[in-house]
Formats: sequence, structure tokens, C-alpha cells
Amino acid sequence: MNSHEFVFEGEELSTTSELLGNQVRVVSGEREFLLSRVGENLYSLTVNGKAVQAAAVRHQGVFYIDIDSILLEVKEPSEDGFAGGAGGHEGEKDKIYAPMPGKIVKILVAVGDEIEVKQPMVIVEAMKMENQVNSQAAGKVKAVNFAAGDQVDTESPIIELELAE
Amino acid sequence: MDTTSKKLFKKILVANRSEIAIRVMNACRTLGINSVAVYSEADAESKHRFAADESVPIGPPAPRESYLNIDKLIEVARQCGADAIHPGYGFLAENPAFADRCEKEGIVFIGPSAAAIRLLGNKVESRIRMGDAGVPLIPGMKASATDIKVYEKAAKEAGYPVIIKAAAGGGGKGMRIVESRDQLGPSLEAARRESLNAFNDDTVYLEKYIVNPRHVEFQVLADHHGKTVHVFERECSIQRRHQKIVEETPSVALSPDLRGRMGADAVKVAQAAGYTNAGTVEFLLDDTGHYYFLEMNTRIQVEHPVTELVTGSDLVIEQIRIAAGLELSPHFESLTQRGHAIECRIYAEDGENSFMPSTGTILHYSEPSGPGIRVDSGITKGSQITIDYDPIMAKLIVHAPDRDLAIRKMIEALNNYKILGVKTSKRFMIDVLRHPEFKAGRTFTNFIEKHLSERKTDMSSYKELAAAAATAAAVTSSESPAATGQSRSVRPTPWQLLGNMQIGDSIHE
Repeated sequence: MNSHEFVFEGEELSTTSELLGNQVRVVSGEREFLLSRVGENLYSLTVNGKAVQAAAVRHQGVFYIDIDSILLEVKEPSEDGFAGGAGGHEGEKDKIYAPMPGKIVKILVAVGDEIEVKQPMVIVEAMKMENQVNSQAAGKVKAVNFAAGDQVDTESPIIELELAE
Repeated sequence: MDTTSKKLFKKILVANRSEIAIRVMNACRTLGINSVAVYSEADAESKHRFAADESVPIGPPAPRESYLNIDKLIEVARQCGADAIHPGYGFLAENPAFADRCEKEGIVFIGPSAAAIRLLGNKVESRIRMGDAGVPLIPGMKASATDIKVYEKAAKEAGYPVIIKAAAGGGGKGMRIVESRDQLGPSLEAARRESLNAFNDDTVYLEKYIVNPRHVEFQVLADHHGKTVHVFERECSIQRRHQKIVEETPSVALSPDLRGRMGADAVKVAQAAGYTNAGTVEFLLDDTGHYYFLEMNTRIQVEHPVTELVTGSDLVIEQIRIAAGLELSPHFESLTQRGHAIECRIYAEDGENSFMPSTGTILHYSEPSGPGIRVDSGITKGSQITIDYDPIMAKLIVHAPDRDLAIRKMIEALNNYKILGVKTSKRFMIDVLRHPEFKAGRTFTNFIEKHLSERKTDMSSYKELAAAAATAAAVTSSESPAATGQSRSVRPTPWQLLGNMQIGDSIHE
């Protein structure tokens, strides 16, 4: 079983998949699909008892999809975007940064907490939008350097982790 | 019939791009005629370039400097020894100066004479000519007037309802529909005021208002030996922003008698214009079976394939034969309409967002196939859709025994036509085809405005499916080659660049 994260129309979606030869079983939200690969970028699946042909291709972090002639774009959560970790600090998986300068709305963890990958850590308000920052790695919270209401830049780590093995 | 064994031309230069250029090149290959592609800098990797036996660059992306550059095209034709030029549609297809120039240079222009193009390009003059020939025109005033009595008389002659239009008009400004005589005075004053405010000109005129009009056009063919025929109608009422997107034949609105009368008038129009080669006579048809001449298009039309499918003919091959001076192929005098054909135009535009043009790289391309399915395409995987040219990428055409089956087949074919990387209006067209009013054949030129202006696709109901498809793509395939720039699928192999080869017997004999 593999798990996957996507962003569709601003909403975060997660799926799990299992590769079975030429087929992929996908659990997506409340629904389960079995997609059979029938050609390059082409998949056949059954939706409400009817066979549907879907096309899907990945290009620069975006999946372009055609199902029932409806064209959909699903994005991979960007590493430096709002759904991902800290911008400009790749490789520093043990530190949580704000994606852009802003105000801390809420700290979601405390020192000593055990953290999973992609666990929500802090909410930062910038450009009148609340952005949730997730962890990039599993571990234990070592330090929380700011509190709700504080202004932060992108250079000071808000939270520091002790990474798990 | 052995008319194609004699070579009609040595070499045809195709002065166009994309799907129509490829369509013409395929016809050339069928006839054993060599073809020459021309391409702008923006089209150096485009599909049409590699569909011909030779290809020649003609300049920068801007059409004025390439596909509309008469001097350059003539120079290329001379250099490569082309004895004829096919202009396709758009660009120079209806440019009388180009037809004149070809004639002067001793190159055959595959189309009508410059004189016919010139006459039919002048909408005022051609209407007068056709009116004199006895072809029905929309009744109305020939000129503006100040006295209301002139309007009253014209309205009475045309029959109510009538429409008042601003001479300087456009965009509905200064337009008034008048149902009866007592409304005429006030409507006239209101239209004049509106026109004065909008265009600083209060000149208005009046003509018959066509209730629930349909766009019905007739394909005609005329050879250089005095023979003119029509090849039945196409109905093209489904339009957005005055551009056709779904076309079909036969039209559900025509009885055999009406078809016969309209077809005879279409032939009359072509004859009155001294027309030769393929052309299309456009009529407006009202809901009482009256029809009115609009204009004649002096080129092969985008929607010509529906005619080919229901008649089993090849209009481009016939264009070439006629241009070479042959008599009209005899089978055109005994054609019948078999079954029903529909065409959907596949534009690079966002059907979910007011048909905004969409640009980008084609990341995935796969065509539908099966009995009665035809794709005329100018693109392939890796093709670049730029802002330089018309956003038409391809045409999907289906043929079935009846209209209902043709509609079903088209919906299936659209769903199996996968183009990723740019937006298309496939889903929009499916919503047209599924609409009860379309199925019932109530197709009028205001169809989209009336039935689909509030249309919206609920994307959120597709979120689980979308995520599932993305997951499948993530686990079963790597990044598309076009994305990484490792390979360009449209780049030709050496075999493609070689052109027609002679293996064993010459293929040109």
C-alpha cells in the first residue's frame, strides 16, 4: 500500500494505492476504484457500473486528467508550498519555517509531541489567508520558538524537531 | 473510372497549415501528386510539415510574414516547381489578389476565379446580383430613410415581425424587434436615439425579422465545362460567438421538396457568379420554411467532411480535378444522402470559461476509432498550441445510419478522444448533443445562448475520481517525455524526411 497526497481545486486529497500487475486499486476518499492500464496514459475503470476511459498524464507536478471529457487538473502538494514544508529550506527537515512572512495564528504541537510525516504543525496567516504548514519528516518536537500572535519571517525556524530514525 | 491515372499536376504547394493542409496533402498522395508544405518558424515542428513530400520554411510566426505573404509563397512555388497551389481555408483562400497573382505566374490556383472571389466577397454587390437572379433575399429596405412612411411601407412588404438595425451598428445597439405597426413609430425613435448615442449616427434601416433561424448551407461544385451541381446541405446552427462548433447533414428541417428548391437556388447563385470549383452557398432558414441567401463562401469549408461521409465523395480530390480542367466526375450527378453525419470542431479553448483560448504543449494525444469515425487532426503529442493561429486543432466527424445513432456515436467518440495539455470544449459539445432540444432537432442559431448560457460543470463531484486517476498515473507512468524535453515525438525520422520513395515500380506512374 502506498499513500499519495494531492491538491484539487484548493482541497487536499489523499489516496492509497496498490499495484496489481497492469491494474491499480485506489482508495480515494470514501470510494474505491480499480484502474486498468489500457494504453499509454490511458486507464479503464468502472464508475457506477459503467466502464469509463480516463486519460492522465503528469507534467511538472500537475496531473492533467480527462474523465467523461471533463478536464481536471490535480496538483502534487508542492514541497515549498502551503501544503508542504518550509520554503527555501530544502533538506532541513528538522525545522519548520513559515512559507512567507506573516503572523502565527496557532501552534498545533507542543514540545515532546511525537510527530508523523505531513502532520499539521502551525498555521500562519499571510495575504489574508491562513496557510497550514506540515512536517516533512517524522520525529519529536524539540523546541517551539514562537507563540500565537507573533510575527515571523521565513528565516527563523518556528518549530524544531528531533528526527526519527 | 480511370481519371486519376493521368497525373493532374506535377506538384501542389499547400499554402496553409494544420489539419486542412494535411487533408489536402493526403488527397495529393491519393492522386499520385507530390505535395509541398510551407511552414512558419512557429510551425517548424508541426504535424503538417511532415505530411508533405517536401517542406519549405516561409518566415516568422506572424501570418502577414508567412502564410499571408504572397510574394514568398509564389517564390517558393517557383523554386520547387509547383504547378498548382491549394489555399485550404482561411489565410489566402478568399483573397482575389492571390488568385490573380497565381494566374499571372502561370500557377493554377485550386479554387474559383479571382473575379468570382471578388464579386462574392462584396456582400452588398453579391446580394444585388443574386436578387436579380431570382434568389430569395431577406426582405427589407435597400437604403435608410427619414420619413416613417417609408419604414411603414417596407415593414408591410416584408411582413411583421421586422427588425430595425443601426447602419453603423453592432452588438445589438440600435436594434429593435417590432411585432406590429403601432409599435413601429416608438421603436424607430428609440433605435435612432440608441444608435446616435452608441455610434454618433442615427441612420437606421429595417428588414424582416427571422424567427428561430437556422443556418443551412449548400455545397456546390462547378467545373470549367459549364456543369454546376449541389452536393446537398449542411446545417450549422450551433454557433458560439458567430463561429460554428457542431455541424451536421442532413438538416432535420428540410423536406425533399425544400431541399430541392434550396439546392436549385444554390446552383443558381454559383452560376450567377460565374463560379468554378468548390464553394458553399449559405442560407438562413426560418421556421415557416422560407429561406434567404446570406453569402457564398469561395473555399473548401471546415465542415466539408460531413458532406463527404453522407455522400461517399471526396471534395478535395474533386477540387484538384476541376482545377486541372477535367469535367466534373460523373458520380456527382447521382449522389444520394446516406445516413447522418455530425462534425465537432476541437478548438484549444476553455469550454468551462467563456471559450477562452488555451495554449500549451500537447502532453497526451489519442484518437477514437471505430466504424464511421473520422478524425482530421493537425496535432499530435508534443505539438505546441500557440497564440499565433486559429485555435482549431482537429475535427471529429462521425457517420451513422440515423441522427440518433450519430449523436450517440459522437458522444462516445468525444469521450474517447483524449487531448491533454490544453483545454478543449469537448464536454461543452457533449452537453449540446445530449440536450433534449438538440435531440429533437430544434437547432436554431440562438441555441447556445438560449439553452446553455447558464451551464456549469460541477468539478467537485469528480474529486475522488480525479485523485484516483492521478494516483494511477503516479504509480504506473513516468513523467511525460514532452515535459522533460528528452524527446519530441513530432520530430521526423529520416524515413519521413525522405519523401515518396520509389521501391520497385514507380508509385507515380
